[in-house]
Amino acid sequence: MDKAKQQVVPAKCVHCSREMTQPVLCDSCASLNPLPAVTDHFALLGLPRRFELDEKLLHERYVALSRHSHPDFHANDDPEVRMLALQVSSSVNDAYRTLSDPVLRAGYLLGLLGGTSMAQEKSVPEGFLSSIMMLQEEFQDAKAAGDAKTLGDLGEVLRNQKEGFLRRVRTAFEQLDSASACEAARQDVLHEIRQLLNAVAYVRKMMTLM
Amino acid sequence: MATDDLIIGIDLGTTNSLAGVMTPAGPVVVRDAAGSALIPSVIAFTPDGAVTVGAAAKAHAVENPLATVYSVKRLMGKGVQDLAEDLRVLPYAVVGSRQVALAEGQLDEIQRDLVWVRVNGRLMTPQELSAVILKEVKARAEAALGRAVTQAVITVPAYFDDAQRQATRDAGRIAGLEVKRIVNEPTAAVLAYGLDQRQDATVAVYDLGGGTFDLSVLKIAGGVCQVLSTHGDTHLGGDDLDRELMDLIAGEVRSRYGEHLEFTPATRQALRLFAEAAKIRISDHPTATVEVDLGEGRVFSRTIAREEFEALSAKWIDRTLEHCRLALGDAGKTPAQIDRVVMVGGCTRIPYVRRRVGELFGPAKVYTAVNPDEVVALGAAVQAGILMGLKRDLLLLDVTPLSLGIETLGGAMGKLILRNTTVPCQASEVFTTYVDGQTSVDIHVLQGERELAADCRSLGRFQLRGIPPMPAGGPRIRVGFLIDANGILNVSAREERSGREASVQITPSHGLTRQEVDAMVKESLAKARPDMVAHQLIDLRNEAGRILRAVEKALINVPQALSSEQRLLLDGAVAMLKTRLQQDDPDQIYAAMNLVNDAAMPLTQAQMDQVMKQTVVGKKLEDL
Repeated sequence: MDKAKQQVVPAKCVHCSREMTQPVLCDSCASLNPLPAVTDHFALLGLPRRFELDEKLLHERYVALSRHSHPDFHANDDPEVRMLALQVSSSVNDAYRTLSDPVLRAGYLLGLLGGTSMAQEKSVPEGFLSSIMMLQEEFQDAKAAGDAKTLGDLGEVLRNQKEGFLRRVRTAFEQLDSASACEAARQDVLHEIRQLLNAVAYVRKMMTLM
Repeated sequence: MATDDLIIGIDLGTTNSLAGVMTPAGPVVVRDAAGSALIPSVIAFTPDGAVTVGAAAKAHAVENPLATVYSVKRLMGKGVQDLAEDLRVLPYAVVGSRQVALAEGQLDEIQRDLVWVRVNGRLMTPQELSAVILKEVKARAEAALGRAVTQAVITVPAYFDDAQRQATRDAGRIAGLEVKRIVNEPTAAVLAYGLDQRQDATVAVYDLGGGTFDLSVLKIAGGVCQVLSTHGDTHLGGDDLDRELMDLIAGEVRSRYGEHLEFTPATRQALRLFAEAAKIRISDHPTATVEVDLGEGRVFSRTIAREEFEALSAKWIDRTLEHCRLALGDAGKTPAQIDRVVMVGGCTRIPYVRRRVGELFGPAKVYTAVNPDEVVALGAAVQAGILMGLKRDLLLLDVTPLSLGIETLGGAMGKLILRNTTVPCQASEVFTTYVDGQTSVDIHVLQGERELAADCRSLGRFQLRGIPPMPAGGPRIRVGFLIDANGILNVSAREERSGREASVQITPSHGLTRQEVDAMVKESLAKARPDMVAHQLIDLRNEAGRILRAVEKALINVPQALSSEQRLLLDGAVAMLKTRLQQDDPDQIYAAMNLVNDAAMPLTQAQMDQVMKQTVVGKKLEDL
């Protein structure tokens, strides 16, 4: 757990040699630094590695970094600086895209904490499959009957389901934060999060089909 | 700012093109002496090899339909199969590279599907033709600004794919321009619009041009302009509405004069221009009348009512609204959540289009105050200003319009970057070998939303070479796909075990190779030199004439202003300039012009003093 929470050691700016409190962008001279060999989306945007996140702060950090790294502001620089800007801004965009979406954020954080990916673990929470199959049948019937009201209601049910699973994901991550003792219990929670996220993926897919 | 630092913005349109430039007072479009900014995107080739561009070329279209090329933008980055509908109506000859290769008995060895236009027996790519238009835009900007232009921002429809964007960039290079950025047209429109719109808002841009349609949803807040989603059709525009009118009239002509009546290319061209004019007239008047001279004393006349035109347009406008709904869905917005709809493109002048858009979003939100023909060029100029470092307060975050992926085993499309991802963005994928000692791997890169590779757009085949020989499955080749801020793909590859860079050989499906573009740039530069000198000479001669006339006049008005030595000097300089005007060396003329200007300085000052005195005297008389 401690390892997961570890912050990136401050580096020195390659341009002005002063210490930096965040990777990539120097707080003293505002110049770009190469991306650290090992970094993650949270560290890149200077945020704590947690599921719970201040969306306003995330957006502020994203915009501040983009204002310095976007290729538009380096059009007349040397090719190396332009290349660096391209790499940094695409990494920053990727980090923002992942962290601003709760589902992507949860999957990403799960990976950082040593959890499994969807490709490795396909199981879903108990009872989920039977409930989703029932919804699917209702959906098919309503579609065949052209019943717009039922279709709308089903959409609402799916949205609620998704929100419900995400609330459980949040609670599970909080459990991990509160430093539970044994490794086996930790693994159980990670497994539960994976199952919940798989269920969310199912629901999302069904929502796009509707 | 050095000359090299100037970047102009260019709207390279299907129907019209124009340039904009950033000034301290804000962006302005470049106008000619008559005040007109729009240059028709039409090129005329005369049999003696002369090329004209713009209004003069458009006037040429009826008398010489086979040698007048228009709507080139529709051909950019396309293959012949993509263009069946266009080939039906374009009077000039469009041929496929494969057809030509087959006819010549040598199939294009790399099997690319390119499009060529054949005029007077000469084959030209759409890139070269667009370059001819860009050169004209560049020359007019140079004349208006009085300086050389070598760098540009060029706009494209937001829904342009990689091949279409690359083709546009190549056209710029062939025209002698360093293309600093490819910008999406709806985004450019918002940049122009955003300047006088400081409050935060969620905006939709409805851009219906001559040949393309885009809808983009953007969020503007705190100096950040973020594109949330974009959707569109690069083959839907005013051309299609013209075609509806053409088909209507052609059908009626046939039913009156016989089903087998053949239209000459000239009649067809005339019909097209009449249809376009009728479309424009109907926007301001309840009816428009089209008269077609069919020869042999037969003149067909038809009056079209606005309601009739609206009925013909309905299916096309329905399609644009379908794209609106899809873009809204991708942005996670409802029509009610959109604060304003910015209307861009000449077709948004059509009242029916405004009405239908108003029905979807709410009539009060439709914003048509901006000049729909000029707003994109103004936005391109703003983007040029950002790149020149003149504007640091605006951050523009645009997206890639189409998902990017690779063909996987079994012919499926494996997506690596999803549509509407903010650019620049990147993804990587690891590939390996199937045979012992294999040193190269082929990857087929695709763009599109469909599940099957065959239904997506093929961007090209990438061959990874220089893989160290290892047992099958041994190498781990990490391929990086990076979409830059222009929306153009860059691919790199590295073998992870050896750490060696693998080289990537790209065969674009519908584009030119780097070598081909380089050859075209060279050919074009060789031709451009005399063109440029001729242009410069005309400008210099005009300027010199103006100076000589001014000196003559001043010598009559204030002859006493010069000492006899000064007079001698001036006479010498004037004689030199007159001699040099007979020769064709711009530098020599320029030098002599400067000498005359310097020598005439006391005259100029004396004249100024005189004017001042007269003004003062005049005032005194009035006071009395």
